[in-house]
Amino acid sequence: MARKLSISVDHNLCVGNAMCETIATKAFALNDDRQSEVADPDADTEENIMEAAESCPVSAIRVVDADTGETLFP
Amino acid sequence: MQTAISDDMFSPEVIADPYPYYDRLREEDPVHWNEKYQTWIISRIDDLTWMTRHHELFSSAVFRDDPRAPYPEIDESDMGIYDDIVRLYQANQFIQHDRPEHLEMRKVVHSYFTPKSMEEWRPFIKNAITHLLDQVQDKGHMDVMRDLATPLPVLVIAEMMGVPPEDRGYIRELAEKLLYIGRGEPDRMKPLSEGMIGMQEYVSPLVDERLVNPGDDFISVLAGGEKAGIFDRQQVLVNTSLLLLAGHETTINLLCNGTLAFIQHPDQWDRLKSDKGETLPPLINRATEECLRYDAPVKSIQRIASEDVEMRGKLIRKEDRIRWFITPANRDPEKFDRPDDFDIGRWPNPHVAFGSGIHHCLGAGLARLEGQEAFKAMAERFPKLELDTDQLEYQPSITFRSLKSLPVTWN
Repeated sequence: MARKLSISVDHNLCVGNAMCETIATKAFALNDDRQSEVADPDADTEENIMEAAESCPVSAIRVVDADTGETLFP
Repeated sequence: MQTAISDDMFSPEVIADPYPYYDRLREEDPVHWNEKYQTWIISRIDDLTWMTRHHELFSSAVFRDDPRAPYPEIDESDMGIYDDIVRLYQANQFIQHDRPEHLEMRKVVHSYFTPKSMEEWRPFIKNAITHLLDQVQDKGHMDVMRDLATPLPVLVIAEMMGVPPEDRGYIRELAEKLLYIGRGEPDRMKPLSEGMIGMQEYVSPLVDERLVNPGDDFISVLAGGEKAGIFDRQQVLVNTSLLLLAGHETTINLLCNGTLAFIQHPDQWDRLKSDKGETLPPLINRATEECLRYDAPVKSIQRIASEDVEMRGKLIRKEDRIRWFITPANRDPEKFDRPDDFDIGRWPNPHVAFGSGIHHCLGAGLARLEGQEAFKAMAERFPKLELDTDQLEYQPSITFRSLKSLPVTWN
C-alpha cells in the first residue's frame, strides 16, 4: 500500500505558477487568490506529488511522510 | 495645486530616477491611462499580482496582436524589419502565448529550470565568476557591466546550449546584437534583427543533430518538444534565442543594479562581508532578493486586455494595452515596511521582480544563482568597493532598468 503523505504549501512563497496543479491535479487546487492549496493528497500518486513539488519554481511545497515524519521534499 | 501627472515616461528625469514618478502614480492614480503612449499603467503590487494571476483576462500575445509601432520610435525605413523579422520572432516565443498553448510549451522547458536542476549549475557559475574576476583583480578597477555582468550570462547560456568552446566568441557577438532589444537608438532594429537571424542560422543545424543524438542540453530539450509536435522548427529556434534575449539583459541589470545599491549603502556591504552564515535562508540569498526588489532589472511588462475589465473604478476595454510596473510595486508601502530602505536581511520578501502567476520568470532560479555567487565573490574580493564615476547613465527604456556602464574601484 502507498505510504501516506502530508503536504503543505508556503503562501509566503507561492507565486501561483500553477505547475503543481497541472501535474498532481487532485492533490493541488488553486484558491481564490490563485495560490496553490492542498486538496486531496490521497487521491494522487506519490510520483505525481513529488514531481509537482520539484516543479515548483519557488520551492513552496513541502512533502513529509505522514507516518515517520521524514521530509521527502525539499 | 498639484500638477497633473505627465505622460512622458521617457523624459530624462524619469529614465534617470523612475521612483518619484511611478511612486506618485501608485499613490494618486494606480490604474492610469497614459494618453501619449496609449497604454494603462498599473503600479500597485496587489493589482499587479491580481492581473498576473488572472491571465485569462490579460493576453500575453502582445507582439502577435498589437500592430502599433514600437517606442521609443524607430527609423521609418526600419518598419519593414520590425514587422517582418522582429515582431514575428518575438511572437513565436512561448512567453508570448496564452493557455492552453502556453502550458504545453512551458511544460517542455519547465523542468530544465527548476530550483533543483539549477542548483547543479552553481559550480559552473562559481568558476566562471572566479575566472572573470581573476582577470581584473590586480588592476584595482573594472566596469562591472563589461567585465562581469555581460560575459557571465553568455558563458552560462552557451554552456546550456552545449555550443563548442571555439564558438563562444561568436555567440557573444550575437548576444551583443540581441541586447539592442533594450536600447533606444532609432536604428536599433538592424543589429537586433541581425542577432535574431544569426542565432537562428547558428542553432538550426544543432537542432538537426540533437534530434538524432539528444543530450542533456537546452537545445535537446526544445528538439524533444519539436519531436512531440509542441514546437515547430521556427519556434525551437526562437525559443533557444529566448535564453539570451530574456536571460542576458536581465541578469546584467541584476548584477549592476545590485552592485550599485551596495555601493550606495556601504553599511549593507559591510553587513554582507561580516556575515557568519547564521540565518536561514542565508543572508546572501536574502540580499539577492533585496537587490531584485530594490532596483528591479525589469521595470514593466506588457499585456493586452482579452475582455472588458473594471479596476479601481476604471474600465479597461478589450484590446487595450496595459503595462504593469514592477518598479513602484516593489516599493509599495502596503506590502513592504520602509520600502525605500535597502535592507539585505529583509524576509519574507514578496517582491514581483520575476512577475507572478503562470508566466512567472522561467529563469528566476538561474538569475538567483548568478546574483548570489556574483555578490558573494565580490564581497570576498573587494571589501572597499567604490564608484569610479560621478555620472551614471541609464538606457532610455521603460521595459528595462539598464545602466550604460558601471565603473568601480577597490583599492
